[in-house]
Amino acid sequence: MIPGMSGDRKARITITVDPGVLEYAEHLVATGKATSVAAVFNDAIAEKRITDQRALALLRERARQADPERVARMMRHVNRQLAEHGFPAASGE
Amino acid sequence: MVSQQRPVSDFTPTPYILDTSVLTDVARGDADVIGLLQDFDRAGQTLVVPALAAAGALLDGRGTPDAQALLAGLAAFEHAVVAPLDGIAQSAKLVDTMAVTGLDIHDAHAAAIADVSVCPILTLRGGKWQRPSRALDNPLRIIEIADPDE
Repeated sequence: MIPGMSGDRKARITITVDPGVLEYAEHLVATGKATSVAAVFNDAIAEKRITDQRALALLRERARQADPERVARMMRHVNRQLAEHGFPAASGE
Repeated sequence: MVSQQRPVSDFTPTPYILDTSVLTDVARGDADVIGLLQDFDRAGQTLVVPALAAAGALLDGRGTPDAQALLAGLAAFEHAVVAPLDGIAQSAKLVDTMAVTGLDIHDAHAAAIADVSVCPILTLRGGKWQRPSRALDNPLRIIEIADPDE
């Protein structure tokens, strides 16, 4: 993590990780590439959050190009079939 | 794999399992299919992404820009769950499903989850599921995503 990017106080947690993952985290600390094992895991999750948010933004951008009327017809078609199978309708209609 | 759980509130929607055809269209960036899935998610509908079906979609979409990112975006939906293949028992169930249905490993993962959980499968190609579904002791519930006006 870039120093100063997180103004929040750190929370203490106990986690269980694969031995190889811990070994690599310790290697990063030993070689000066990370300040602590906790920082390695903190950075990894922060990076995953950014990756997920970018992927979600990309998907939402595609969804904005959808034809709402066609999507509504598809939803009704799905709901009709769900009802035939005894499932409740999806509530997106 | 996903197991059907007892409702923890008054109403818990039955999860929908996405097959390779749906995931392939997401990986290709089909706006209408993505829009439909987004509507499900916003309605609180759980969407199950079988990991091997996702692999099949990525195989179909090799060379498609953003294929992996689009599937990752789907997995990041609030109510999307990626179902891994976990352990020997699930591997055996997968192989049994492949042997009985003749499905490839990608859609067999969706079928195996559906068979265990009694959840419907969402697909863009209902026809391909007819024979595999009948081959199982309990037929699968297949829901086709289509525009009836086309």
